Amino acid sequence: MKRALAFLSLMIIFAALMVALSPGYGIKFGLGGEDWKRYRYTDDYYIKHGLEDVGGMNIVTDIVFDYRGYDTIGEATVLFTAIAGAVALLRPWRRERNE
Amino acid sequence: MTWLPFIIIIPLFGAFSMPIVSLLKGKAKEIWATIISFTTLMVGIQVFREVWNRGTIVYALGSETPFGKANFPIRIVWEVDKFGAIMVLIITLVSFLAVLYSIEYMKHDTGLEKYYTLILILELGMLGIAITGDIFNFYVFLEIMSIASYALVAFRNDTWEAIEAGIKYMFVGSLASSLVLLGIALLYGQYGTLTMGYLAVKMSENPTIVAKIALSLFLGGLLFKSGASPVHMWLADAHPAAPSSISAMLSGLVIKVGGIYAIARVVFSIFLPAINLATVGWLVIIFACITLIVGNAMAVVQEDMKRLLAYSSVGQIGYILLGLGIGMVAYGSKIGELALAGAIYHIVNHAMMKALLFLVAGAVLHELGTRNLNELSGLAKTMPKTTFAFLIGAAAIVGMPPLNGFASKWLIYESSALFNPIIGSIAIIGTAFCTAAYVRVLFTFFGRPNEKVMRAKDPGALMLIPMFILVIAIILMGIFPWQISDKIMIPAARNLWDITSYVMTLMGGG
Repeated sequence: MKRALAFLSLMIIFAALMVALSPGYGIKFGLGGEDWKRYRYTDDYYIKHGLEDVGGMNIVTDIVFDYRGYDTIGEATVLFTAIAGAVALLRPWRRERNE
Repeated sequence: MTWLPFIIIIPLFGAFSMPIVSLLKGKAKEIWATIISFTTLMVGIQVFREVWNRGTIVYALGSETPFGKANFPIRIVWEVDKFGAIMVLIITLVSFLAVLYSIEYMKHDTGLEKYYTLILILELGMLGIAITGDIFNFYVFLEIMSIASYALVAFRNDTWEAIEAGIKYMFVGSLASSLVLLGIALLYGQYGTLTMGYLAVKMSENPTIVAKIALSLFLGGLLFKSGASPVHMWLADAHPAAPSSISAMLSGLVIKVGGIYAIARVVFSIFLPAINLATVGWLVIIFACITLIVGNAMAVVQEDMKRLLAYSSVGQIGYILLGLGIGMVAYGSKIGELALAGAIYHIVNHAMMKALLFLVAGAVLHELGTRNLNELSGLAKTMPKTTFAFLIGAAAIVGMPPLNGFASKWLIYESSALFNPIIGSIAIIGTAFCTAAYVRVLFTFFGRPNEKVMRAKDPGALMLIPMFILVIAIILMGIFPWQISDKIMIPAARNLWDITSYVMTLMGGG
């Protein structure tokens, strides 16, 4: 019963995502021309002004380390947390005092 | 000059320097963690005062303005309004008390340098969520908070239940986070920006079905993080298994910052122009009513003290969600304002009361080694101070008039009764269950002592001080309930509603 319901709701979510990704109703793919300016204005800015704003030739590193560098700090923290957590959980068990 | 960046810099520095500091033997790591979290508390107070005196703070990372040469934000922004400032204050306060409490509570455990690193990162993640104005950045900090809490729940790796709870929490929690990420991807594909305020602008120009689907994904993920009823089961396992200082932070902060605050921020500051608020509000109210009844009713039948407190947290989340839901349906009216103010007030109050109760449960566990309520009868004889703290916490959570829980619950009752009497009566039934659960525990504590309890004594000063700071705060807040609600909570609720000023402050017009 539970499984059937879960499967049904997964199907509904999947259908909703398909609607959201269909060009007629929702997100368009392969944007170009007018649509590029309309939906990807932020990316357009980065490409046009990246070199003079930041000074790097590589747009992706310009974005990742300058425009959105704070997210990169966050990602580094995620990695640090994951390592700290994994090391903490894989440490030897604590011994009883009388052992 | 604003103090805001230091709220991230200080815990980040503390967490990343902890492995080096812990090379010094002895108590260096405990002292370092306490210093760092205390400094963060001071900065938190300063940020709160700044927001209260000067209004919403907007801070662009890496530049003077978030705009560059464009007329839309290209950089990450922080935007702290009054609600965010309240969250910052309560996060820094409870985290500091939890770190202080851990010094004595965790001294029998190993791997403490990782423990203090993770607890500082947990605080960092929550602060990042509370101050951010960028939706992807919100996701990054949600992940920082979640990963740190998965590791901390399973920290006592020599007990089977910690590992079980950690695995359960991690599997479903990462699924919930990925729903949020999927929602962000959809929004970016449709609207081309990640800044919350500017997303609201774009969405008001062009509300699409993609926005609605993204909102439902967000709600699904965030209701999980807040422990709303059909998906509350991780909480009931995670709280008993985690160390008590961590349960205090999980129950007091994580479910509210990652769940309730995030829902309120996403709905009111991003989606408000694009959606019918009443629909979302009713959805939240339905979940709130289920959560209220299920959480409080399950609390009555528990035999494990921390599991009882965990279910009671679920029940209290129900009240907060109820206030939030009525605040959405009755947008712009007096009733909605009261309900939203009550929800914000209850977030603060419940963070303090539940932190106190979990710290008490930790003290009992630390002294007696058992959480089974049947073995704890007569605790009042041998642990009078701890029992007193529990009495205050329990009375506050039930909503006894001289304590802080009364005013916030009253606001929620009043607004829900005015809004719809049926929902008001559901709220009352939930409180009846909640009262039954806590009265039962108190009867046990004041009963005839059994021989196991006779050997117990109150814990040391380092564990009692955080508890009594919270007791004093609860009593003091209980003395001035309506002043606090008029001066702090109602302005915060109005501020949260006011999306125009949120957007205008971001765009530099306000």
